[in-house]
Amino acid sequence: MVDLLFYVAALVAVLTAVGVVLARNPVVSVVSLLSCFGSLAVIYLLAGFQFLAAIQILVYGGAIMVLFLFVVMLLNLGGLNPEDEDRDDPLFHDRRRSAGGLAVAVALGSASLIGILRGARHLAEPTNGLVPPEEGFDALPALAEAMFTRYSLPFEAASVLLLATTVGVMVLAKRQRSIPPAGEERS
Amino acid sequence: MVIVKRKTLTLAERLYLPEILRGLSITFRKMFQPKVTRQYPEEPLPTNEVTRGQPRLRELTEGHLACVSCGLCEAACPAYAITIDGQETDRFIEREPERFEIDMLRCILCGFCEEACPKEAIFMSTELELAGFTRESFKYGIDKLKRSTEELAPRMEYIKRINERW
Amino acid sequence: MNDFLIILIKTCVIYGCLIGAAALMTLAERKFSAWMQLRYGPNRVGPWGLLQPLADGVKFIFKEELCPDGANPWIFRLAPILSAVPAMLTVAVIPFAGDVNLFGVDCGNLSITDLDIGVLFLVAIGGLSVYGVILGGWASNSKYSLLGGLRASAQMISYELSLILIILCVVAMTGSLDLRAITEAQNTGNPLSWNVFSQPLAFVIFVIATFAETNRHPFDFAECEPELVAGFHTEYSSMKFALFFLGEYCAMIVMACLTTTLFLGGYSVPFWEDAPWFVELGSFCAKAGFFAFLFIWVRWTLPRFRFDQLMHLGWKVFLPLALANLLVTGAVISLA
Repeated sequence: MVDLLFYVAALVAVLTAVGVVLARNPVVSVVSLLSCFGSLAVIYLLAGFQFLAAIQILVYGGAIMVLFLFVVMLLNLGGLNPEDEDRDDPLFHDRRRSAGGLAVAVALGSASLIGILRGARHLAEPTNGLVPPEEGFDALPALAEAMFTRYSLPFEAASVLLLATTVGVMVLAKRQRSIPPAGEERS
Repeated sequence: MVIVKRKTLTLAERLYLPEILRGLSITFRKMFQPKVTRQYPEEPLPTNEVTRGQPRLRELTEGHLACVSCGLCEAACPAYAITIDGQETDRFIEREPERFEIDMLRCILCGFCEEACPKEAIFMSTELELAGFTRESFKYGIDKLKRSTEELAPRMEYIKRINERW
Repeated sequence: MNDFLIILIKTCVIYGCLIGAAALMTLAERKFSAWMQLRYGPNRVGPWGLLQPLADGVKFIFKEELCPDGANPWIFRLAPILSAVPAMLTVAVIPFAGDVNLFGVDCGNLSITDLDIGVLFLVAIGGLSVYGVILGGWASNSKYSLLGGLRASAQMISYELSLILIILCVVAMTGSLDLRAITEAQNTGNPLSWNVFSQPLAFVIFVIATFAETNRHPFDFAECEPELVAGFHTEYSSMKFALFFLGEYCAMIVMACLTTTLFLGGYSVPFWEDAPWFVELGSFCAKAGFFAFLFIWVRWTLPRFRFDQLMHLGWKVFLPLALANLLVTGAVISLA
């Protein structure tokens, strides 16, 4: 029963994650990301982490995705299509800058990936007291302690990564040509 | 120029809550006051002789209308709701309607027919309800329009009274 | 297997009662509003109009399903589900009464489940109901719906903050996220141990924030008939529309239950600590029923706020007050 639920949740998570990237309509992307988070929460629940599951839904599902949806709806990205991409944009031409950016992105991404994998393997040791939790809620003090003492550096590094992503999105979105001057038709 | 002076609110008023509680107490008390709704089909509207309902024909003697099919109401009717076919009769009035039909869907209850009638034959009754399933069922013939003199008497008296004023 | 059966029966009974209560709530809304306006309200279908919700339901089923031109059909269909399901899920953690002993069979506590993180679950799932509103507004491809959806989501996010901060005060006092533990902490036989007496400010803010959270008058900017026709559900018809309403009324009932549990001692009976379960259930229903009535009562008493007033109230009044309340609560707890 639990195995079956896990496979269903995992399948839904993967499919919706693919849907986030492939969907043309940004709102559909947001909705599939939301269901991805939902199925992740189910997986957490099956693993015994009630608290994490609730936080996943509360923070990601309830707060962050609503903001995403808000922004997507306000910007009205529905009409954007790939042919409109402006190839004159300096970001596409300045090879050195874009290569540098790519390198930084890959470095940060792989660093965080390695960090996550190693951290997960480390935490999976029974002596570290996180997995398997007998009671989902009882593991919470252990989780908090691990996050705020021993692993505070990776924790902060992850937030720096998120900040870098936010700034990058801002830079990409604030390209001049995408906002025509008021009262002037776009040619 | 009208100058409206804004009242400075007291602290209790600016906190909203006391005022909200006052409003709540008013609505709560209203819940137990007697209701003013009329339960319509069981409690029909009060009518009197001034009520201008649907037009009805007055029955003069047993089985005979007061109408002489002169056609004045037909001519007066702004909605062309009235159709009359007249015929001769052995009675003293010599003429009576063979067919007197009012299309209730066209009738606008204006009362012009009542004013035009020289023989006190058509009156606006106190009947107000009108419902049916087909258009045909709204074409009222003599059988549906006929009312006894007693039924229409209050309205007759009323019309006589106001006509004396002119 | 026997445990499974008991849980199944409990689930069916509680959800049946929830949906029945939501249906009755629509009738109560019309009845009370009528009485407050010196009218009778629905009284034709069944005795005292009791079958009116059933008649409404049948009418909804026979209405035509409309999907506006240019709308995104899948999201359009998803939105009412997303509106109704979270509201109905949250009732799972509400403790209605203590140990139930029926015909000599011990059925356990009267609630679908007693989660350790009941409060978190409630807040997390309840927070999802905003998607129904916002997606319904967006997918309708109508300016009124979109405005209604945007307003509703902005409002729900703003007030969720104060709501959660206030819940935190109660959680800090009890030291548990389990709703049953919170109830039991207040169940001492003395009504003065109810949280409403130790946290009066929190209680007032919480009640007002629930009104905003459920999009009810005087904060119903999601609908706001004079400005937005009907807000996010302008384009909905038939059972989809009914689902929105079901969600709204279920959310109201859950919020009434939550207020009862957090502040009025849940199922605890005044001056009777070890009351039998049906007395506890009666006590719970009376308290929750009062708050459900309060939703209706306030709706037919107060005029609607302006949207900027609502935001002002949420961010500049309730949020600082809730934070200060949490601070004082924490200080008192750590000093005592």
